Amino acid sequence: MRIGAIVRIVPDLVMGIEIEESEIVPFKYVPNERDEHALEEAVVFKEKTGGTLEVVGIVDDELRDDEAMEEALALAYAKGADSLKKIVLNRRTFDRREVARAIADHFKDYDVVMVGIQSIDSFAGYLGGILSGVLGYSYVGGVVGVDYDGGLIVQKELGGGVVGKFRVKTPAILGVVSAERPITFVPLVKLRQAMKEMKVEEIEVEVPDMGGIEVVRFYEPEKPEITLLEGDVEELADKLVEVFKSLSLV
Amino acid sequence: MNSNIKIFMINPDKSVTAMDMLLNRLKELTNNKYFQCIQCGTCGGSCPYGAYTPYTPRRMILAIRLGMVEDILNSNAQWLCTACQTCTSRCPSRIQITDGIIPALREKSLLEGKVPEELSTALINIMRYGNPFKESPMKRDGWAKELDFEVPTMMKKKSAEVLLLPECFGAYHRRCKQATKALAKVMKILEVDFAILGREERCTGDHVRLCGEFALFEDLMEKNMKVFSKYEFKYIVTHDAHAFNALKNFYGLNVLHHSQFLHDNLEKLKGMFNELDYTVTYHDSCYLGRKNGIYEEPREVIRSIPGVRFVEFKRNRENALCCGAGGGGIWLDSVMREFVKVRPAEDRVREAKEVGADVIVTGCVLDIPMFEDALKVTGLDGEIVVKDIAELVLEALEGG
Amino acid sequence: MILVFGEEFERDVTYELVALAKRLGDYKVVVREDFDDIDGDVIRVERLNWKVVKELHDRFKPEGVLFANAPSGMDLAPKLAGITGIPMVTNVIKLENGDRFKATSLTYGGKVLVDLEVDKPSIFVVNRGYYDPNEGRGTPKVEKLDLDFEDDVELIEVVKPEEDVDISKAEVVVSVGRGIGDESNIELAKELAELLNGVVAGSRPIIDQGWLPKSRQVGRSGKTVTGKVYIALGISGATEHVEGVKAKNVIAVNTDRDAPIFRIAKVGVVADVNELLPVLIEKLREIKS
Repeated sequence: MRIGAIVRIVPDLVMGIEIEESEIVPFKYVPNERDEHALEEAVVFKEKTGGTLEVVGIVDDELRDDEAMEEALALAYAKGADSLKKIVLNRRTFDRREVARAIADHFKDYDVVMVGIQSIDSFAGYLGGILSGVLGYSYVGGVVGVDYDGGLIVQKELGGGVVGKFRVKTPAILGVVSAERPITFVPLVKLRQAMKEMKVEEIEVEVPDMGGIEVVRFYEPEKPEITLLEGDVEELADKLVEVFKSLSLV
Repeated sequence: MNSNIKIFMINPDKSVTAMDMLLNRLKELTNNKYFQCIQCGTCGGSCPYGAYTPYTPRRMILAIRLGMVEDILNSNAQWLCTACQTCTSRCPSRIQITDGIIPALREKSLLEGKVPEELSTALINIMRYGNPFKESPMKRDGWAKELDFEVPTMMKKKSAEVLLLPECFGAYHRRCKQATKALAKVMKILEVDFAILGREERCTGDHVRLCGEFALFEDLMEKNMKVFSKYEFKYIVTHDAHAFNALKNFYGLNVLHHSQFLHDNLEKLKGMFNELDYTVTYHDSCYLGRKNGIYEEPREVIRSIPGVRFVEFKRNRENALCCGAGGGGIWLDSVMREFVKVRPAEDRVREAKEVGADVIVTGCVLDIPMFEDALKVTGLDGEIVVKDIAELVLEALEGG
Repeated sequence: MILVFGEEFERDVTYELVALAKRLGDYKVVVREDFDDIDGDVIRVERLNWKVVKELHDRFKPEGVLFANAPSGMDLAPKLAGITGIPMVTNVIKLENGDRFKATSLTYGGKVLVDLEVDKPSIFVVNRGYYDPNEGRGTPKVEKLDLDFEDDVELIEVVKPEEDVDISKAEVVVSVGRGIGDESNIELAKELAELLNGVVAGSRPIIDQGWLPKSRQVGRSGKTVTGKVYIALGISGATEHVEGVKAKNVIAVNTDRDAPIFRIAKVGVVADVNELLPVLIEKLREIKS
């Protein structure tokens, strides 16, 4: 079983971002949380099948040496990845179609590829799903568990706590939302050791310009008004019913 | 820097086994004193969790000697410790249990990737952001902005007589920062020349060390020392007893706990106190009392406030019962809950009622949320309140 | 013409897509199950998988395709975008038609909005809760199409949650705190939850008393709720509790006007939970019947 996992880095919302009309300026980057789950699930799946796990970082040229990507790959190594790759996109883009086409050639050797269902900064596509379309692989998103019984069995969230079990043909791409166990803790001493020991193959790719989506402006949503209601219990109950209606609960 | 912890890299050629690493760590932290354990059981009998844990310290030592370390770790007993120091302070063989055996065992769990989720999240946040709350370091001076006077930062001032260090809970936690603000206000009234680090501040790491994340502790210490060395100050004042412990005993700096600071300024304060009408008991926080011997200064401060009636807890001074937050305890409730029927904090607030107190005065800022929570659970929250000693002093200064 | 693909696993969302499609132009709605109250042209198919989506897309050549940001929509949309190379926008909260489409997307964890202009044809994955499902209801004109392509993904089993639900994923959570007073009052909370199709949860003191099982605890040492609505009844909003509340809409009821829970609530009600609940439940019962 040849397993691949994709890790990306995204702006760290905890450290803050500057919202300008034409672009978002992050203060710092951090490994994408959904990809951390995808990696964890890939490690679990490797343990279940005894397969090999290759972890592929995807980053644009400007950020190729960013410490967040180093951390993401080092964590992968510390958790048991057999090999590491770093695909460097020659230009930055928000369009996942373009990223998918740029990296597709390098994903032809896996039975299963796990990637986070989305990243915090996305608004133009889901990389996993689009990549599956480009490569002609199966795709399931919302994944919360993966098993193998001679064939691939995938657990997908269907809403309201209900989970669907699917038989999925390989090769497959899985958009993971949460791993079936909590993210394994990697102590600092192991992380540092991983950074020293790990070997990462770097691959340069060209990102095609497909056009079609133009950013007009970025801006902040209006702060929600906090309404504090007081008064007669009957009136309050009526108001709450209105609130429930507006939220489609009734 | 006064560190007696060495960080050894995991042997690259993998010739050192995990068990060897544990034994090396135990040797380093306990000087192999645990070989001299006479199995008297004083430790387990003194432990707040002794009745609940599958492995008291005595049993842990026995198990280690018999090579049954995995049994301890699989039982999760290593997480049932809040570093109260009671066992260590009473051990006739002087074995370093709290700062040695427990962290060494926890380190092994960490290396195996087996960490309770709540704690794992806190450690990762401390690693990335310098605080366990996943709050931005840029907002670390938020508490100071809530005051109606400007609190000077070292970045601007470069030097001050006192460096006030709120630590993570004192800076970010909604309730704890009230104590920080009270302390800052008292300092202003006393016209103390003080400043804060604000955004340059990060966790001082005592919990991190006690949880076995030694590399992170060293990392925090290194980064903190770099920041401290940029500025000039006579001493640090903190209301976090764990920070006090780390700064004094590991960083090797001049540090006063705020109860000591208040005691030093008692003559000035006495002249300004108004009368308060409370029956007060004082909780000896583990890291002030048992660990660092500070018992009388806070009591003198409290007693000097007119109108305050002072009653002692039955278990006071060296016998005080831990609030349960230390040694990572504040992030281990999910594990504790599987074993412990009554939280020590709940036991403690009932004791406060028994001795007739309507106010529990605390010295360590982490005590506050632990006791306020316990008051809610026991239904005593209408009868007893919790005040940090700085809050009590401020109240006496401002007139009740 | 707009092609709308109904949501397989959360039906109600389909109506919202229809409500949006109406404002964009002529549209057709593709569904698998029986929807006897969708307003407009409905195409019923035996299976709704990516092959069917692609086939219908090729047939109708729509200027825009709508999917829901929901379990099946989020899988089908990117597949189509990958195969066809058509531009795809996700997390859409607003969409207008014109020479080009004007879309607004909610991103960066809800902190940033981005206005976009998108060439045609394009694909849009629309967030829930921005269009009124009632506008999507009416009388359908149904055409059945015999499209039965086998999929590379096959549903073999649906696992309903065991006795105890996973509150972290529930859309509606009715949570109780110490303000509920007596254990018997939890029945009221349970009734409210039932009327709103939600689940019951509690803050730590409630679980500590044993009034609710541990799986229902919300907070730092419990679960984090991320659904649509969190109703906090008699919960003060201590830091440790609030750390677990990441629901999109928080409604809080508490007698204390200064309770910290109000800081994270969209709607705050200053009242006694035990007085308010029976009245509220009565009114909701009337509406249901």
